[in-house]
Amino acid sequence: MKTQFSVAKFDQKLQERWGEVMEEKKQCKGCGGALPFVIGFVAAVIAGWVLFPDLIYSKKTQPIRFSHKVHQEQGMECSSCHTFRDDGSYAGLPTNEKCMECHADVVGSDPDEAKYVEQYAKTGKEVPWLVYQYQPDNVIFSHKAHESFECKSCHPDMSKNDTPPVYYQNRLSGYSKQTMKMWQCERCHAENGVSNACHVCHK
Amino acid sequence: MGLDRRGFVKFVVGGVAGTLFTPVIWQGLDDASIWSQNWGWIPRVPKGEVKTKSALSKLCPSGCAVKVKVIEGKPFAAVGNAANPMSKGGVCPICAGGAQLLYSPARVKSPMKKVGEGKFEAIKWEDAEALLVEKLTPLKGQEGKIAAISGDETGSANEVLSALLSGLGNAGGFAVMPGEMYTATRGVKLMGGNGQPGFDIEGADLVLMIGADALDSWGTSVANLKAFAASHPTGGAATAQYIYAGPTLNNTASVCDKWLAVPPTATATFSLALAHALIEAGAVSSAADFAEYKALAAKAAAGFEAATGLKAEALKELAAKIKAAKAPLVVAGASFGQGAGALDFVAAASLNVLLGRVGQKGGMTVLGAAPKAIASAADRENAKDAASLLAQVATGKAAPAALLIYEANPAYALPQAAEMAKAMGNIAFKVSFSTYMDETAALADLILPAPHPYERYDDAMNPYGVAKATYLAGKPVLKQPVLDVKDPVDVLLAAAGKLGLSLGFETYADVIKAKAKALGADFDALAAGGIWNGEPKGGALSLGAGALAKAAPAAADEKAVALAPVTRLAYGSATLATPPANLLNVRDTELKGKDLFVQLNAATAKKLGVAEGNKVKLSAGGAEVKALVHVNEGVAANTAAILLGFGRSAWDEFTKGKGDNVYKILTVSDEAGTGLKVWAGSTVTVAKV
Repeated sequence: MKTQFSVAKFDQKLQERWGEVMEEKKQCKGCGGALPFVIGFVAAVIAGWVLFPDLIYSKKTQPIRFSHKVHQEQGMECSSCHTFRDDGSYAGLPTNEKCMECHADVVGSDPDEAKYVEQYAKTGKEVPWLVYQYQPDNVIFSHKAHESFECKSCHPDMSKNDTPPVYYQNRLSGYSKQTMKMWQCERCHAENGVSNACHVCHK
Repeated sequence: MGLDRRGFVKFVVGGVAGTLFTPVIWQGLDDASIWSQNWGWIPRVPKGEVKTKSALSKLCPSGCAVKVKVIEGKPFAAVGNAANPMSKGGVCPICAGGAQLLYSPARVKSPMKKVGEGKFEAIKWEDAEALLVEKLTPLKGQEGKIAAISGDETGSANEVLSALLSGLGNAGGFAVMPGEMYTATRGVKLMGGNGQPGFDIEGADLVLMIGADALDSWGTSVANLKAFAASHPTGGAATAQYIYAGPTLNNTASVCDKWLAVPPTATATFSLALAHALIEAGAVSSAADFAEYKALAAKAAAGFEAATGLKAEALKELAAKIKAAKAPLVVAGASFGQGAGALDFVAAASLNVLLGRVGQKGGMTVLGAAPKAIASAADRENAKDAASLLAQVATGKAAPAALLIYEANPAYALPQAAEMAKAMGNIAFKVSFSTYMDETAALADLILPAPHPYERYDDAMNPYGVAKATYLAGKPVLKQPVLDVKDPVDVLLAAAGKLGLSLGFETYADVIKAKAKALGADFDALAAGGIWNGEPKGGALSLGAGALAKAAPAAADEKAVALAPVTRLAYGSATLATPPANLLNVRDTELKGKDLFVQLNAATAKKLGVAEGNKVKLSAGGAEVKALVHVNEGVAANTAAILLGFGRSAWDEFTKGKGDNVYKILTVSDEAGTGLKVWAGSTVTVAKV
């Protein structure tokens, strides 16, 4: 059986609901006004700036506590280990071959050096270093083209660093927190009069 | 003070508003966009030093010397090897994709045994090898019970295969897929010579290619292209003329200085009519059969216009150009690299004899037999052709119980392919040594996966077309194969041992090293991309008039048109389906969705009563191929041109089911005077669907 629609009944119900709403409004004046909004706002800001960065990144440590400071004190420079290959490509991190020029056997008293010799140099396994600034595969970055800049123009100055910094890995993207973002590349290109056309970095 | 519904809503709204002033949303979106670029299925090249290793890539018929780029031992790209004097740093469109083909989903991943119609199960190598020996043991010593088909024109693997068959009492069972080399070598014999013909394209100042698609799919195409490029410098005057006489404006014709549209049924007529024009212009030969040849040439000239659709004037102009050239060369071949009779070859090659260009710089040569690593192996030119073998199997004239198929795809790439595949069904035990799951492997009872060129030792003796004896060899780029594969020759040598037969070697690597030694070549230098060359030879050849006189004139059929299968190396070969990356090169006028296009010129289309876009069927020999019509003036008169290499029923998701297999409608006939099976002059009827 169909229910007949009555304008009079509908109007009556509307009046009753309006009364309820007005009553709620009166009651709310006594329970904080804009306060819940402010609390929600402040809580979100604090969570977003304080808790979120900790949650989005996982923390990792390098497999070997490598001291740049110790090596720098031996008179070594960045380019002593971070070299260009013959074809101009950048070798990035040194392999066992380079490290073993000095550390084929333990030469100091640091337990991490002994760990390196035991676990990597003697087994031939490369150290799975965590690279702070790997770019995605779709970025073609040439260190050779940026050779005139000092390393620390883009990378943190590691020369005084005795313990490698914590590696923060983004849980979503998988990249390091320190990976340089595109806006940074673009800004430097713009400041130096270099093209920002897509094909300059993306092939 | 309690938190009521309204207060809660305010709190949430405040929270959302506050979030907008934090990095949560903005960084979340940024990270999500980066995450979306890192799907697990996207192939990744490991980061590290790029090293290059030399390899002999025999993915293409002639084999390319390449440099394979590897990171951490994993190949990811291939480029030409500049140290190789033949390719001079060039690479063909198949071998350029060699790294991708290494990881192809179409690769056979482990030995497979047939367990039902179209069903296979993976088995261990020891079981597979034991099964092979078990099946061959009772057939040993029974003539005609074991046969083999090889799709490799140049490798020493053929020596092992033929020696194995010979040792098992089946010397006559060795067959090869019928490429140009096969018929051309027989053609040379008809001209009184002995050996494989060669063509010094680099040294010629006029190259007339009759049929031979020399700048794309014929012979050592990379070397040919290098010679062409050197003679046609950008911005400079050409130092040589390249002229193509063939059925379609293909990749060769499109860059040549001139194209003459010659239907595939009129190749011999064109060659002989040209001989007549040259004789008229004063050419003479001291060959004993010159008088007979001259008469044959005059007869061909009389029917030239009707057979080719060209004007006799075009021939006179061509003859004048050839007469004016210092080092003219005629390159003879079928427009799609197979199926031409020996007589088509003789007719074209005889022009080199007439012009006195045999054994000259920039002329035609004859390569003698190469020294063998295995003495008991048969000479390559004495092998049967696979089409004849399977035709005999179909009619019961041959009844092998076991068939070894080495790097060949006879179920797909032989004329009247459906019948050939059916004939294979008469053979009880078929073994396919194949890198990829091709149509023949799908019919086999046992599939033994062969390595990719980067995973194996291999060699190439005299790739077809080279002007002087040439030998290339390569060794594996990878320390360990990507899949569970074994070199077929190693498997055959081990099987021979178990069958009580010693071929003198344990591995293919040993065979190749022995071959290099027999030639006086340094294997290590060859494996680094080097090359061994013998001296070019000439030899006294006749004009082949005796053989040409036996050629039966083609029967005229008003309803049929000549079929010109079109090959493009980029789209694959008789042994390899189109590499997935190269499918992007296929034009919209060649393949649309799953339909191939048949190309007809306007006059032929009008004669057949068809128009652009019509769906038609091409029928011949009881088989048919459906296609869409594309009217194209780049096709000779009374000729239907259609792409070869499509219509795959095996391989991978990328190539399977696209277009149709034109091999089905290539009809085999016996060549008068030679008894060879020929199909380059096939005709088809075209009807609207």
